Amino acid sequence: MKVSYPHLVNFFKEKPSIEDVSEKLFQLGHENEIIDNILDIEFTPNRGDCLSLLGLARDLSVFFALDTLPAFYLENFEALDLNFQNHSPEDCPAISFLSINIDEIPSKYEDYLESYFTTFQINKNNFFTDISNYLAYEMGQPTHCYDINKLDSDIEFVSENLNENFETVIDKKIALSGNNCVFKSNNEVINLAGVMGGKSTACNKSTKKVLIECAYFNPESIIGKALKYNLHSDASYKFERGVDPSYQEKILRRFIQIVSDHTNIESIKHSSFVSKELPVKTLKFDVKEIETIIGTNIDEELYKNSIIKLGFNISNNHINVPSYRHDIAHQNDMAEEMARIIGYDNIKSAEFKINKTHVSTDSEPENSLRNFLASKGFNEVINMPFTTNTDASIKIDNPLDSNRACLRTTLKDSLIENLLYNEKRQNESIKLFEISDIYSITKDSEIKNEKYLGIVVSGRVGNNYKEFSKKLDHQYLEEHCGLDKNSIFEISRDGLDTKIKNKIYIALIKFSNLPKSLENLQNIKVNKINFNTYKPISDFPSSTRDLSFVLSDQNKIKELEEIILNFKSSFLKDSFVFDFYNNEKTNQIKIGFRLIFNSNSRTLTVDDVDNEIDDIVTMCMEIGGVDIPGYK
Amino acid sequence: MSDDTGIYPKLNLEPGSVHPINQTKKYLLDILSSIGFNTINGPEIETEQYNFDMLNIKKTHPARQMHDTFYAQDKEYVLRTHTSPVQIRAMLNNKPPMSFASGGKVYRKDDDATHLPMFHQVEGIHVDESVNFAQLKSLIFQIIYEIFGNEVEIRFRPSYFPFTEPSAEVDILSKDGKWLEILGCGIINPVVLKNCNIDSEKFSGLAFGLGVERIAMLKYEVDDIRDFYKSNLDFLKQFN
Repeated sequence: MKVSYPHLVNFFKEKPSIEDVSEKLFQLGHENEIIDNILDIEFTPNRGDCLSLLGLARDLSVFFALDTLPAFYLENFEALDLNFQNHSPEDCPAISFLSINIDEIPSKYEDYLESYFTTFQINKNNFFTDISNYLAYEMGQPTHCYDINKLDSDIEFVSENLNENFETVIDKKIALSGNNCVFKSNNEVINLAGVMGGKSTACNKSTKKVLIECAYFNPESIIGKALKYNLHSDASYKFERGVDPSYQEKILRRFIQIVSDHTNIESIKHSSFVSKELPVKTLKFDVKEIETIIGTNIDEELYKNSIIKLGFNISNNHINVPSYRHDIAHQNDMAEEMARIIGYDNIKSAEFKINKTHVSTDSEPENSLRNFLASKGFNEVINMPFTTNTDASIKIDNPLDSNRACLRTTLKDSLIENLLYNEKRQNESIKLFEISDIYSITKDSEIKNEKYLGIVVSGRVGNNYKEFSKKLDHQYLEEHCGLDKNSIFEISRDGLDTKIKNKIYIALIKFSNLPKSLENLQNIKVNKINFNTYKPISDFPSSTRDLSFVLSDQNKIKELEEIILNFKSSFLKDSFVFDFYNNEKTNQIKIGFRLIFNSNSRTLTVDDVDNEIDDIVTMCMEIGGVDIPGYK
Repeated sequence: MSDDTGIYPKLNLEPGSVHPINQTKKYLLDILSSIGFNTINGPEIETEQYNFDMLNIKKTHPARQMHDTFYAQDKEYVLRTHTSPVQIRAMLNNKPPMSFASGGKVYRKDDDATHLPMFHQVEGIHVDESVNFAQLKSLIFQIIYEIFGNEVEIRFRPSYFPFTEPSAEVDILSKDGKWLEILGCGIINPVVLKNCNIDSEKFSGLAFGLGVERIAMLKYEVDDIRDFYKSNLDFLKQFN
């Protein structure tokens, strides 16, 4: 919510700076940002009472003394002859109506009203609607204005299933469906309660006779409607968070005052319909209890004076909770009030200790398995569980899109997708695993949950000269990972979006059926977590080059490795020895290095890579006694 | 002859990696375990009763709306929006004093550059006689100092969670002078204790929760949350 600092500060006797106001708002739990003279404030959803100048000033009054509040019309009302039927008092327990006739529509607004529109660059609408909008900002209570000349004298409030079109005051046509709370006249919907009024009875610039409706709606009756019809309004935001159920008449008195500040009023009539008086919530005035919850000593006078400033009333050792504080229900809420006033950062911490009887963890087997597979060169992936429909899947009622409308019933598809993704990124040795719970629906419509280990492999066993020419297969998974032969399957590449021919092997094993070799892995060495800063990954393709050296002096191997494997370059992403052959008869050693180049900002050109290779080769040749057959 | 004599080239035995989110989750749970919290797990598919009602999250709370929460099987189930239902089950099945921590996947109906529909949380609860906000502060200091070092500047600010009262969000001051939200915490709302058949006159509790991705991003200096879930080997191999 955006609040003008000059508007807000008018409520206080002393005029604190915008920085002071911002700081105190923050202390009270209202995150905010200062933008010029505007405070952009984020309120937690339980503080509907703060969504106005008055509400904010009230909350800040524990720090800044309040000045005189805005003026209200104080005369007695003449009764309004309105045939109003409330068919659903549970949804609308309190409502007031006011009719006003004015002589003349004012040509200009008083400064306080004009300032609202200029400060927030809001377009004016018509005199009555403009006051209604301002009043919601000033007092927090939405009102709705009907042009009396367009309105039948009978109005009813209903909560019923509807299937009809409704044109809103902002010219948007919506199709009402399902249960809605609406106002009707002549059996026609004239207002979607708590959200937006209709076009047929809306005021315009020439309206001089108006019926103003001011209601308290049960938030549960209103919530979700603005979202459903994409009709977000200031009113719906406030009603969903709960307005003051006992403030309707007072708000209408303020409405009259604003009208009378601008023009001569010919007549005022009023009627209220309250289905039942809302009980006053009471709590014991108990400082000791507050001290117990917060864990610090509380000055009783400070507590008393502070909550009185917030609108609480204390009598007979009991606190009467003001009607606008829907968030206060028990002593913990009062403790939070006091903690906010003291400032959370000003509360001293006290020793916390758990008497450890036994400390257990039920995730150890899973973590041990992770560490075991990582020690074997496997990389763990975590996939989103959303997929398209399958028969045993749990169906999401409100999916992000149709491709994510169900929960997966197997890890297979995600793992193959991960494999293909990495193949496209020129990875030649891929060993991935995932451990995840898998959920499905049984024939009896019950949720079934099983934890699975999924493994997928394809390509070379490893990027080193001993494993470079070996392919990942069935046997590898059995021998290196201890998997049971029957749990490993080859996946056909038919239908997969790939041109790579390497065979794909996958294993999907229920945790309850893990082979014995994977059950007791407590002895796996676990490295302490090392929070190294990661290097951003590139979205551009890599270029691969091989350099094959011939040398006769074995001691040159280390020198070559030091140059190539430690070569500092902005493009060399990876390098390793992929080929090594020592022909002892001819005393000739062949050693092949694979170099992978990549840039984070662009696709590398042939020249980019050639320049790097030239630099590496020049350095290698300086060793002496090494040759690269065929290299020019 | 061995591979490091200089006679043979080095064997490039690439180590694999546990996913950085699971490493971070375990790291956080290990910290809590060292303080005395017992680690527990629970289902990701929940009912509204455990995910919302028992936690005092009323029907009107915005989090329960269809645009925030994934509902399943004609609203019979929800994909848990936090790991708090695990704590509810623990409180229902145990008697105070008790201290539990849980971590795992949670789901919210979000999908943009900074939010994902699935992410991870670690939460803890402690219920005993006379647990108070000042003790909660001490515990939070302990956890944050363990993660970010004793020099880090911390601030507490009031917030709102239906299941805790008073509630707080805790920020740390980053190197570039910005406050970063790290965790939410509070004194367990007595309504929640009552829902779990715990005598709220005799016992009180504290609760806290951390976003695992948030901690991992700060510790590894990963600036795009989506990188964790691309399954890109160039990314994953950096966490061995």
